[in-house]
Amino acid sequence: MELRQPSSLADVDGGLPLAGGTEVVPLLRDGLVEAETLVDIRAVVPKGVSGTTIGAGTLLAELEADPEIPSALREACRLAASPQLRSMGTIGGNLLQATRCWYWRLKYPCFLHGGSTCHARQGEHREHAIFGNEQCASAHPSDPAAALLAVGATVRTDRRELPIGELYRLPTEDDRNVTALEPGELILELEVPRPEASHYLKAMDRARWAFPLVGVAAARFGDGVRLALAGVAPIPWALDSADALEQATPLPGTAYKVELARPLIRRALDAIA
Amino acid sequence: MARLIRTEKEVEGRYTEQWVVVEEDVLEQWPEGPLQTVGRPATRVDGLARARGEARYTQDLRLPGMLHAAVLRSPHARARVTRLDLEPAMAMAGIRGVIGPSDLEPLTNEPNYEGEAVAAVAADTVAQARAAVEAIDVEWEVLEPLLDAEQALAQKSFVTNPRDYERGDVERGLAEADAVVEAEYRTQSVLHNALETHQSACEWEGDTLVVYTSTQFLWGVRDEVAKAFQLPKDKVRVICRFMGGGFGAKGSAGDYTMIAAELAKRTGRPVHCRLDRREENVNSGNRNPTIQKLRLGARSDGTLTAIDAEYECLLGWDGWLPPTAGPAQMLYACENVRTVERGVRLNTPPMDAFRAPGFVEGTFGLECALDELAAKLDLDPLEVRRRNHADHDPMDERPFSAKELMECYRRAEPHWERRHEVRARSEGPVQRGVGLATQLWYGGGGPPSYAWVRLGGDGTVTVVTAMQDIGTGTRTAMAQIAAEELGIPLERVTVELGDTAHGPYAVVSGGSSTTPSMGPAVRSAAADVGRQLIEIAAQRFETEERVLRLENGKIVSDLGGSWAIEDITGLLEDGQILGNGARGPNPTGMRVLTFGIQVAEVAVDMETGEVVVERIYAVHDVGRVINPLGAESQIEGGIIQAIGHTLSEKRLLDPQTGKVLTRTLDSYKLPTFADVPEIVAELVDKPDAHLTNLGSKGLGEPPIVPTAAAIVNAIRDATGADVREIPVDRETMLRALAEAREREKRGAPAAV
Amino acid sequence: MVNGGLHEVDVPVGTTLADALRDVLGLTGTKIACGEGHCGACTVQLDGVPVLSCITLVHTVGEREVTTIEGLREHPLVQAFVEADATQCGFCTPGQIVSAAALLAATPRPGHDEIVHAMSGNLCRCGTYPKIERAIEAVAAENRGG
Repeated sequence: MELRQPSSLADVDGGLPLAGGTEVVPLLRDGLVEAETLVDIRAVVPKGVSGTTIGAGTLLAELEADPEIPSALREACRLAASPQLRSMGTIGGNLLQATRCWYWRLKYPCFLHGGSTCHARQGEHREHAIFGNEQCASAHPSDPAAALLAVGATVRTDRRELPIGELYRLPTEDDRNVTALEPGELILELEVPRPEASHYLKAMDRARWAFPLVGVAAARFGDGVRLALAGVAPIPWALDSADALEQATPLPGTAYKVELARPLIRRALDAIA
Repeated sequence: MARLIRTEKEVEGRYTEQWVVVEEDVLEQWPEGPLQTVGRPATRVDGLARARGEARYTQDLRLPGMLHAAVLRSPHARARVTRLDLEPAMAMAGIRGVIGPSDLEPLTNEPNYEGEAVAAVAADTVAQARAAVEAIDVEWEVLEPLLDAEQALAQKSFVTNPRDYERGDVERGLAEADAVVEAEYRTQSVLHNALETHQSACEWEGDTLVVYTSTQFLWGVRDEVAKAFQLPKDKVRVICRFMGGGFGAKGSAGDYTMIAAELAKRTGRPVHCRLDRREENVNSGNRNPTIQKLRLGARSDGTLTAIDAEYECLLGWDGWLPPTAGPAQMLYACENVRTVERGVRLNTPPMDAFRAPGFVEGTFGLECALDELAAKLDLDPLEVRRRNHADHDPMDERPFSAKELMECYRRAEPHWERRHEVRARSEGPVQRGVGLATQLWYGGGGPPSYAWVRLGGDGTVTVVTAMQDIGTGTRTAMAQIAAEELGIPLERVTVELGDTAHGPYAVVSGGSSTTPSMGPAVRSAAADVGRQLIEIAAQRFETEERVLRLENGKIVSDLGGSWAIEDITGLLEDGQILGNGARGPNPTGMRVLTFGIQVAEVAVDMETGEVVVERIYAVHDVGRVINPLGAESQIEGGIIQAIGHTLSEKRLLDPQTGKVLTRTLDSYKLPTFADVPEIVAELVDKPDAHLTNLGSKGLGEPPIVPTAAAIVNAIRDATGADVREIPVDRETMLRALAEAREREKRGAPAAV
Repeated sequence: MVNGGLHEVDVPVGTTLADALRDVLGLTGTKIACGEGHCGACTVQLDGVPVLSCITLVHTVGEREVTTIEGLREHPLVQAFVEADATQCGFCTPGQIVSAAALLAATPRPGHDEIVHAMSGNLCRCGTYPKIERAIEAVAAENRGG
């Protein structure tokens, strides 16, 4: 294995991008991703917050302390992962993290790995999905992604701009990826609108350092309110309204997540009213 | 004089009869209360080494030429190896040795649980060893695992014979009851997760095998390894000076020790075999799940008339049947008790002792059921416990050597009284409540246990004994005891432990037995030195021994005058005064137990099912307290572990394959800094007048015993919901709340 | 830079900072308990920021200053941990002190909530958390006084 450390975007040529390493290094260790070449992209991906633009290389630890960004995003960053992981991990990397589904992490030949069944549906799935879970019941673990979805952020890559909702896609028979990024495509910046109010609430198994059982982000723009959930689908999940929760398709072991989401949604909406 | 006796020995509720030679314990107990050093807070004598990162753990060993082992473990819960070719591994870079099932006892061709060892390699680096394991050519015939408890019961698949106990007539007792609670309680499998994983490094020195290992029992490892390698016992030397936590799971040698020893033998080099975190969480033991069917009956005044309890203990493939029925049998003075414990064998990884095995699980069911019964009878739960207090051992009428449970209840009262004020602080969806639960457990220790003490020419004292300090602070407690007996400051005492070649036999650090076993031996050895010192001083200063005593680092004469200890020891130059000490017997015909009560305050979000433990008060009776500071830490630690057990920790198995899913520390959720409530810890600190020259019992386990029940009883107090299983995660809490709402709608009473 | 001294290590790409510190430089005060970024035992500071050395590739450290427990042995937290009885088995302790030292450098007088937030990535199975908080508070009180 080799490590390249390009100093400009133009020098990035293939290889596995590595920024904070909190996701890539363990995945490499476990053989869940493989690479001949690692590309340290820290020097080429923008960092820091400037107006409504957030560099993808900005650390979660910086965002949790930034008074200018929407409070939902700040709170989502504050409640994400552990202090050390927030001091290492970038917002761009956070958006692209893989599911914590134990079957996927332990390399069961599941749907997400290209197989034909979802082991979680038949097996242990208390942390799993209540939406979009027909073929793969994994849950997307990112708290900030839900916050960014609620505030309607736009993602700028080295090739295009796209609404964050379009960054994610449910895995299909033909394509088991959960993002729409092309091979080698890098997230560079996020354009984050300023809602009039926003809020993030997170239910987890312990008081800190756990992935969301349910995370609820709510944002208000004028009369309009947008809701997005973390930990409830293979991708961050936008909800058209609180009532849309009733369309959930929980598994036996995730039915509680619907009950859990209901008061959290109400509270988040109350908080931004 | 040495005395040969046949005595009952207890470790974690497992009683055996054995012969021991004990020294007559001639020392009177010290007076009650804080002394010069004993009973006063002491910082750890090894605290600085640990805090500075200088303490050398097994993981930190760097022996010259040391190789690293990796183990091929079964990825299946039940399988047969149909083909095993080790050749490809041998051909890999850096490989120095490979062994398979025909080479070593714990390696097997027919694994019966996930993680059972099949083959192992030794290589120059860990990475090379892992790669070689991957390269081993193995084919499995995957067999149907037995995972279902009911199916196992129907097949009578047991690890050991079921254990039955009966006194009185339970059916009659239930018939006489004014209220009966009949309910099923469940506890989960929890994983020890000591931060230093199980590991050993083995090295042959001529005909002696040196084993560096992370262990709770040096001598147990010595005996096991000697037997496996057919060596005289003292040709195995076991060393563990610092160890990174055990909690019960490091009481035996483990496959990793045998593998390291065998590979060291074959390669002629030291070999380190270290489990990684995932192996640790599959393969190093666990607290077994239980299913508990309880029937409790009581008269309207709260007097228990019957306890009927059946425990299915899902042990996994192997292990032993923990005393899950202990609390039901011993906690209350109930005349009619029947218990059945079944150790169910499944194709899951074997259980191992985990801090108060059996009693943690059994206390949860019993103490929750008792509160449900109190609610039915509209009685104060603390009052019900007082009413059923056992004044003597209810199993065989033996007196207790000491029992200060009533004093614990008395001290808990103001904390229990807080419930009115706590409940009143409920607001909106957050309801608050208070619950309590009683604890009992063993912790008396016993012989054989020995210590040596030497006093050098410079007046410093070294305690030498081949015990281990697993992080509980026993090094410090032993130093305090020696300092107290010799009347010298703590700073003058050094404790050398952790090496079977450097000191006499010591007990396992398990079953809360270290301090009550080793402490009296250390005191005896120090007293032996003290006697000699006085004898020498009497000769030197031409006075009578009986007028001399040791005090504040001096030899003091009743006739006036005092001399520094160095005035005597200085005469000896390189000469030393050597003392021997042995643990005396436990009091015959008496039951030695520890007691306590905890009161928990919780806040429950009725909508989200979030449970926050806000405060726990704990008071325990463990006899004399050697180090109040370390003791407080032990109590806090036990409670925090119990909070994990109660709220967030659970080993999950895939129901189809029986494989462990929660093997990493993101998915298996230990309590963090943020999950800790206010903890108020107290100890009765009254010496057990019948127990040894110290009157001290162990404190490692008592604090973890009642916490889960106290929390769950507080949840019922706050919400009216009956939670009958742990962990109380969101799903469990929301379901219990929904059931409580349903019940209220139907107007049914709270308990069945 | 490690604890003020310059070191160059010659190891394959993929080697973690934790392995380089322990196996190449012999700095075994940094512990590995999970090896995958979940427990905090391996915490070191990179330019004063607490990071997990077990999932940090040594080749990405570059010129940054690495501070391990060996570089913090004279820090007042060490004595405070001893006095508060904040070590039981001690295996997590170096990582705890490294995290706490970073907290105190950034926030000399942290309140309870700040301590909890900053320390929640360092797991302690023995349950020394209350005593660790006491140790941090003791040093914070000194900061207040001085």
